[in-house]
Amino acid sequence: MRAAPYLTLVSETLVPEPGAVGAKVWYPEAVEKEAGTLPRAAVDHLDAIYRVARNLTGRDSDAEDLVQETYTRAIASAAQFTAGTNLRAWLFRILRNAHIDAYRRSRTNPVREGFDDEFAADATASASEPLRGDAELERLRGVVTSDIEAALASLSVDARAIILLDLEGFTETELAETLGCAVGTVKSRLARARATLRERLRDYGS
Amino acid sequence: MDCTEARNHLLDRRRGALTGELRARANSHLAECEACRREDAADRELSLALQDRLPKRRAPEALRRSIETRLVGQPPRAAAGTRRTRRAPLFASAAFGASFAVAAAFLLWMPHGSDPMLAEAVNDHLRVLYSDHPVEVESGGIHQVKPWFAGRLDFAPVIAFSGDDEFPLQGGAVAYFVDRKAATFIFKRRLHVITLFVFRAEGLQWPALATHPVGDARGTLETSRGFHVLMWKKGDLGYALVSDVDPTDLQTLAVKVAGGA
Repeated sequence: MRAAPYLTLVSETLVPEPGAVGAKVWYPEAVEKEAGTLPRAAVDHLDAIYRVARNLTGRDSDAEDLVQETYTRAIASAAQFTAGTNLRAWLFRILRNAHIDAYRRSRTNPVREGFDDEFAADATASASEPLRGDAELERLRGVVTSDIEAALASLSVDARAIILLDLEGFTETELAETLGCAVGTVKSRLARARATLRERLRDYGS
Repeated sequence: MDCTEARNHLLDRRRGALTGELRARANSHLAECEACRREDAADRELSLALQDRLPKRRAPEALRRSIETRLVGQPPRAAAGTRRTRRAPLFASAAFGASFAVAAAFLLWMPHGSDPMLAEAVNDHLRVLYSDHPVEVESGGIHQVKPWFAGRLDFAPVIAFSGDDEFPLQGGAVAYFVDRKAATFIFKRRLHVITLFVFRAEGLQWPALATHPVGDARGTLETSRGFHVLMWKKGDLGYALVSDVDPTDLQTLAVKVAGGA
């Protein structure tokens, strides 16, 4: 969840509350940042980063490696982080890129990223299908953790990521920043990703 | 509002994030469209399933300690154009003092009061022990394991030992040591696991006294939480052997790894 709104002084400038229209959004962690070092507040996002990494990779050990790689890259490029911008979105963008890079290097696990190729067909099919009635609801009520994890694993990286980051309470702006897409496309991408996840879950819970 | 647009707003509508006119249009569409109502109901079930049945995992403690250690110990880097450059010297001094206090408090908090490299070596060894898949490449000999690291590391690990009956090589993996990637070799000694980390040596705070001969180098042998850690430098590379085996076994293996046997 987003930290509570706050007011503080940075460089003799009154900092606006997060979300203020037309103002740069500031976050508490930015105040701690020393030049070129990653703010200590980066560790506050560790549990969320680990959760998402675990669901992206599907294995504890791979998730730990991905988290380590994420923080290694973040520390190495700390000078590129702009104080006052969104540390959480920045870290998760590094996580996403690290995950994609890792799987690109793996010849046996080609990564599928992006939304549009995969979801165009699914979205069309979903809109034109006859009503599924209560059967889908019953199936969804019957799915268990392993079903959800398996269905998530069958999605593309960005589809998984947008669903998981939305669960972590990311705003549309943060989602766009993390996934590198336009804010205006976040809603439709999230809706398509969730619709596709439900399609995949049809195979479970029955 | 058509079905496609309405479905993009279903989640926000249920979360109360739709405002006046948009919410009214979405409500109006749902009142007339049974397909979208069913879609909404199914999507609500999906939300419940994700919230209730997807595990709320927390990062393992060893991972948390490792990340915290790296955040405290990260070297300062040049950052052009940051706001700190415009702050008063007094503030900078206070910030430095606060950073120093945090680092000092962390080091005091560390359970063994020893240097970060020792704690890191033991933590990383524990990660290997607890890992579901400690070995990423099974050993068919060192000539199979070493090439596997190509492209995964920014250095070539140099070890002169390919395992024998006394210390069979189990395999290798890429892990992290402090703030950098490390080649990890896993050996066995009877039922004990011995982890060898090979990493770039520069920029680490090595122990001052290195008395244990390891080939033509000298290393330090320390004990933490019941694990013995033998660390040495050779050229640009650093080595850390970690295990609960007898220290003499560790030194025997170190000499073999360094090519001194």
